[in-house]
Amino acid sequence: MSVTRRTVLQGALGAFAAGSLLSACGNDAGGNGKDLSFWNFYGPADDKNPQSTWFGEITQRWNANNDVKVNLRYIPGKEYLNGSALQTAFQSGQGPDIFLISPGDFLRYYNGGVLQDLTPHLSEEAKADYIPGVLDTRMVDGKIFGLPMEVEPLALYYGHAAFEKAGLSEADVPKTWDQLLAVADKLTGTNKYGVLFETLPGYYQNFTWYPFMWMGDGEAVKDGKVAFDSAAAVQALKFWQDTVKGKMAPRKPLGDGGGDIGANLCSGAVAMQQSGIWSVSDLNAKFKKFEYGLTPLPLPAGGKAVTDMGGWAFVANAKGKNPEAAAKFCAWALASTDAEGVERQRQWNTVVKTNLPPRKSVQAAADKAGSFAQGALSTFAKDIVPTGKSEPRYPPEVYKAVSDAIQACQLDSADPGKAAADAAQRIDAYLKTYQGAPII
Amino acid sequence: MTRKRREALAAYAFLAPDVLGLLVFVALPMLLAFAVAFYKVDGFGGYQFVGLGNYRLMADDAQLLDSLRITGIYVLAFVPLAFLVSLGLALLVRDHFRGIGWVRASFFLPNVISLVVVGLVWQFLLVDKQGAVSGLLRPFGLEDVSLLGTPQLALATYILISVWFVMGYQMLVFLAGLKDIPADLEDAARVDGAGRWQRFRYVVWPLLRPTSFFVLVNSTIGAVTGLQAFDLVFVLTRGGPARSTSTVVFYIYEQAFTFNNVGYAAALTTLVVGLLVLCTGLMFGLTRGGRFSED
Repeated sequence: MSVTRRTVLQGALGAFAAGSLLSACGNDAGGNGKDLSFWNFYGPADDKNPQSTWFGEITQRWNANNDVKVNLRYIPGKEYLNGSALQTAFQSGQGPDIFLISPGDFLRYYNGGVLQDLTPHLSEEAKADYIPGVLDTRMVDGKIFGLPMEVEPLALYYGHAAFEKAGLSEADVPKTWDQLLAVADKLTGTNKYGVLFETLPGYYQNFTWYPFMWMGDGEAVKDGKVAFDSAAAVQALKFWQDTVKGKMAPRKPLGDGGGDIGANLCSGAVAMQQSGIWSVSDLNAKFKKFEYGLTPLPLPAGGKAVTDMGGWAFVANAKGKNPEAAAKFCAWALASTDAEGVERQRQWNTVVKTNLPPRKSVQAAADKAGSFAQGALSTFAKDIVPTGKSEPRYPPEVYKAVSDAIQACQLDSADPGKAAADAAQRIDAYLKTYQGAPII
Repeated sequence: MTRKRREALAAYAFLAPDVLGLLVFVALPMLLAFAVAFYKVDGFGGYQFVGLGNYRLMADDAQLLDSLRITGIYVLAFVPLAFLVSLGLALLVRDHFRGIGWVRASFFLPNVISLVVVGLVWQFLLVDKQGAVSGLLRPFGLEDVSLLGTPQLALATYILISVWFVMGYQMLVFLAGLKDIPADLEDAARVDGAGRWQRFRYVVWPLLRPTSFFVLVNSTIGAVTGLQAFDLVFVLTRGGPARSTSTVVFYIYEQAFTFNNVGYAAALTTLVVGLLVLCTGLMFGLTRGGRFSED
């Protein structure tokens, strides 16, 4: 048979159609269902850090007692959070059996039909053990599709040395936006900035900006309708803009940016930095000599105290090799109510990493061990966690509209009112055609 | 089997791996992208035929126009600048002098480093206030200038880093072209009393036509679709600040991997390929494909 242009094209389209059909078959990951892949950004890491070890131990423990084995696949954090590995795998029908997702990215996967219902594998006791509200952004129609392994509230960290050098004391730690601008200005010098908010566009930047909008009672989407064109959103956009405009916050921070407390706060490049509860374990492990304090996020005039509660969740791939076994593993790893299960969670949330435990029994065990009795974790537990609000789950189109508004105001001197209105228009146009799980 | 036939077969055998690679990794994906462009793809294995729907979406996509504009500015600034700098360097290191190997190697060095590493190094150098570049700008009172954090400066900075990255490779290409120019032609011109500029203008420059054409086309394709059009953007700014470095390739990536609009991303890819073919054709027409006038 002679090879013509037409036969080449037919062959290519045939290959494409075959790929489509394979993908449409559902259980397209292949394999015998006895070996499950667990993609994560913790382990096994080369340096065998405690968090990597925790992941290794839970899989070893599971594998020792189950026919279906779970194999960890480590993907570096940057690639997992901003790269294409996970998306490419799902697009080619080779998504992992178990993986981690943040609340901010929940809807993309749920609406794509790849999240397995975990509810049948959770006892009533386990469900009741979760702190009220903590599962909301992982639930649809009363069913649980993701189990949070942690809750991560945000706060404002500051370095004692920077304050002392500027002649400031604990009494000057800002409680309001106006105070923050004034103090940040005093802390800004030739080689350092007063304060740092994330400047790199992405899910993390949105996550850290939401509380400032919530303080004025604003939302991006409320009851399924756009709510972004509000005074609360405008004042929050303006506040972040003011920090850059006043040259008291960097446009391009060091290291990995807003989430990298070691490269920025500990190095002395900034005096105050917004970050999450996870930074406490980083500071304890890597920067033991660095003296710091932390405080709830400052408020606008008349605003209400609020922080964003992030935290990653285990999810099972509904189109994976063995969704039932994957779901069972997620439930066993994070929701077991026996002593071993509680201890496993306590280790993750207060020993190898610092978080707020998502379960009451784990919180009780942590309290008993004195984990939240003093220091930074005590401040989180007493002053910050009660003001927590779950990180919203927005589809990518909503997230991106908000992201563009933040970027335009923070770094391009856009008018906050116009930026909020433009974003609201984009969100509104999208919501009119949106078909998926409720946006909350 | 005749000797001629054996030689032909041997040539085909040597070419086969490359041809196979091109077919499997270039031609087939291009065909698939063309086919996928007619589908709405959800990123999780769902395909729905939408005909020209993805192409119709482009008309109302303001961010696409913006990314094309940014790419256009990048190409118009990067291609001539890289061309001039590389040609200048090639002329500089054309003749032998003591330590020439080191000089050539130092110009070429950036090209052997991974672009991701290049991005990370420059990110470190350009950090606000603490970066080495801020230190250099301090005596001029410009220490607060954020080259990668200011929309008006980020694209220009990114163009300069790209030029720095490719100049060594293009310099080598020009050097090869310069070495091909017969020395007696220049000598004859010198005897006739031609100065340095005249020898370049009337002898060297015309004979560099094929090399210049190759550099121009290669550089333009690289500027639109090459690694520096994506890797550098991804590492340095992720399309920011405020979308000021969101090139069309980065925008396609966003559509495919942030929004899961794989079909639309495929349609955008075919648009970009079409634009590139047009650009290359235009350059081919204007320069007669780099052929000498007497060809």
